[in-house]
Amino acid sequence: MSFSSRIATLLIGIAATLVATENSGKAAAADNDWVMPGKDFAATRYSALADINGGNAARLHPLWTFSTGVLGGHEGQPLVVGNTMYVVTPWPNVLYAFDLTKEGYPLRWKYRPEVSPNSIGIACCDTVNRGAFFVDGMIVYNLLDGHTVAVDAKSGREIWKTQVADLSAGETTTMAPLVVRDRVIVGASGGEFGIYGWVKGLDLKTGKVIWTGHNLGSDADMLIRPDSYKPPYEQGPDLGVRTWANGSWKTGGAPVWGTISYDAQLDLIYYGTGNASPYNPEQRAGDNKWSSSVLARRPEDGALVWAYQFTPHDSWDYDSTGAMILADLTIAGKPTKALVHFDKNGFAYTLDRATGKVLVAAPYATLNWAKSVDLASGRPVLDPAKATGASKGNVTDICPSLEGAVSPSSPAAYSPRTHLFYTSTNNLCMDYQAAHSSYLRGTPFMGANTPYKAGPGGHLGAFVAWDAASGRKVWENTEAYPSWSGALATAGDVVFYGTLDGWFKSIDARTGKVLSKFKVGSGVVGNPITFRGPDGKQYVAVYAGIGGDWFLLAGDVRSDDPADMRPAADYIKDIARRTSQGGIVWIFGL
Amino acid sequence: MKRSRSTWQRLRGHARTGAPGSCALAACLALGSCAGPTNSPPPQPAAAGPPGIAYEAHVAAGAVVPGGVELHNPHSGDKAVAAAGAMLFTTMNCDGCHGGDAAGAVGPALGDGRWRYGGADAEVFSSIYFGRPKGMPAFGGALGADGIWELVTYLKSLTPPPTVPTESWQGP
Repeated sequence: MSFSSRIATLLIGIAATLVATENSGKAAAADNDWVMPGKDFAATRYSALADINGGNAARLHPLWTFSTGVLGGHEGQPLVVGNTMYVVTPWPNVLYAFDLTKEGYPLRWKYRPEVSPNSIGIACCDTVNRGAFFVDGMIVYNLLDGHTVAVDAKSGREIWKTQVADLSAGETTTMAPLVVRDRVIVGASGGEFGIYGWVKGLDLKTGKVIWTGHNLGSDADMLIRPDSYKPPYEQGPDLGVRTWANGSWKTGGAPVWGTISYDAQLDLIYYGTGNASPYNPEQRAGDNKWSSSVLARRPEDGALVWAYQFTPHDSWDYDSTGAMILADLTIAGKPTKALVHFDKNGFAYTLDRATGKVLVAAPYATLNWAKSVDLASGRPVLDPAKATGASKGNVTDICPSLEGAVSPSSPAAYSPRTHLFYTSTNNLCMDYQAAHSSYLRGTPFMGANTPYKAGPGGHLGAFVAWDAASGRKVWENTEAYPSWSGALATAGDVVFYGTLDGWFKSIDARTGKVLSKFKVGSGVVGNPITFRGPDGKQYVAVYAGIGGDWFLLAGDVRSDDPADMRPAADYIKDIARRTSQGGIVWIFGL
Repeated sequence: MKRSRSTWQRLRGHARTGAPGSCALAACLALGSCAGPTNSPPPQPAAAGPPGIAYEAHVAAGAVVPGGVELHNPHSGDKAVAAAGAMLFTTMNCDGCHGGDAAGAVGPALGDGRWRYGGADAEVFSSIYFGRPKGMPAFGGALGADGIWELVTYLKSLTPPPTVPTESWQGP
């Protein structure tokens, strides 16, 4: 590397830090730390640290491991603040604080909250937790049983605990909160239980619920105010009621369980909503707004500013809870404040994040339920042969499967150096046989039988580099198994991810070439992070611990209950040959 | 009912392959029984549904039956009742947690011949009637004894696959 390119790299690093700082309001932090789930408010999962680079990444090796003592799927990521690393486990949601200044990283403290075991049976898809948020000396996170807690980052003492969700209605809390100024933003899972989906804004100091905005229902419930609401496409009052036949909005789902992002200049939070309930779409004729959508709200009072629906009348369980990544891109020669989203439905969307208008929508994985997205109306051009419903019988060979072209639990990363987005993908298709489902409060409300099969090529997953300005795949590394890890991009032009069978990989950001790989203790469904330790060295941390949907789909990776024996999945017969459950935190370095 | 090795896939979807609903849910609740298919229309959603279940109020951890009480399955081994129980298994959303054909999902597999709380008919009955820790609702109030015996008869009719204790692989 020449001297001038070193300077350029340095400047880009500083610029990236400035952008992150500008976006980050109170939680500003140097790139030495990782203080919130998506790294910054833009959810880029990009770090300006560059000590680990293409020239030395081959030397990466594990330096430290820690068993969390928990077997559930380890989604989410650790936080690093100063000299401390924080780890939240799946249920029972233990919070560990590791002292990074001492040999072996002993604990400063651990916080063991009281969490209802009944939540285990209400969480649709394993007892996952998607991470914590550091702000004002507090670690804020959700417990599975519908509580949000704030814990003193120094002492581990509980500061407040608020019930936000109702287990008896099928609500659990798996997502990581986002804190903007003095508002803690949280949502609930429950798209498989017919919940009445919402987000809430809590007061950071007290935990008191200040506002609740539903994702469907009346304009009043949705916090739609005529003076501030400017939808990009469909207009009219009470769309959250009128687009649901027979009052079906009351049990319509639209949960919130992914990453929330925030633009400080526009003062908007962005989050995706999950599927409409039930899976049988004939029980809820209409567009079903705003399920499978992105919503933009004011953090202070929750007012809805705009909403855009990726999948109207979702008939395939295509949640849109995946991250909304904010990036300033040059699109057709024009600088654009963009929002980029890899939807379960197989399209990658590039939106104008001020207005919600779709600028680019292109397939990043095999899909056939729609032919394209009409940019004038924002609506998908459907293939009627792939429409599902109880009256249609078994509709075969729909791509992607309801696991999504990517899991919303596997957030992408964006590098401002390569201008590329990096995402895991699944190469799965499905048959979909819908049937009538009865609503019984607090129990599953689904109604579809959906066996999976491998998509074209036979491999089950891939890791993809994507140009969101043009809607183009730049390169792809195929994976034998569905790829269920989040991505990490760094200024060293090294990208990191893990595989379902437990390989943790570093790759070249520009070519995808594998620079190093190591077999960690269990399949990776978590998100790697990087930080600079107290010793000045750059480290990379990631959870191993297969689970999430794979707790259900590949039940033979479990050995924890001799009274619960699952058959192998017929499309992924040998995953249990290569990995099994177990939560372990790994730290890698040079 | 044959237990297919591929049924685990149905974890989030559910084997709802029979005629829709053996009887309207409201009728199930009123009569406490769903034995035998009828020509009733499919159950209606939400508004017409049964009362909610409040978990904290209904789960009875342990669920110890009073001493001297003997529970007896009136339908043991009856194939027609087992078929009705299979219908009930989907109608009451059991498959939403336990998977299609009870192959396991977020809740444990129930067709593997192994039981956390005992596999005798009376023990399975108690698990459904009273609920169990970690999220199994108490369905006694919603189903009544007859409906639960149908479910028990269905679950006990499932044949565990021979690979339950040993899973093996070949190839590279």
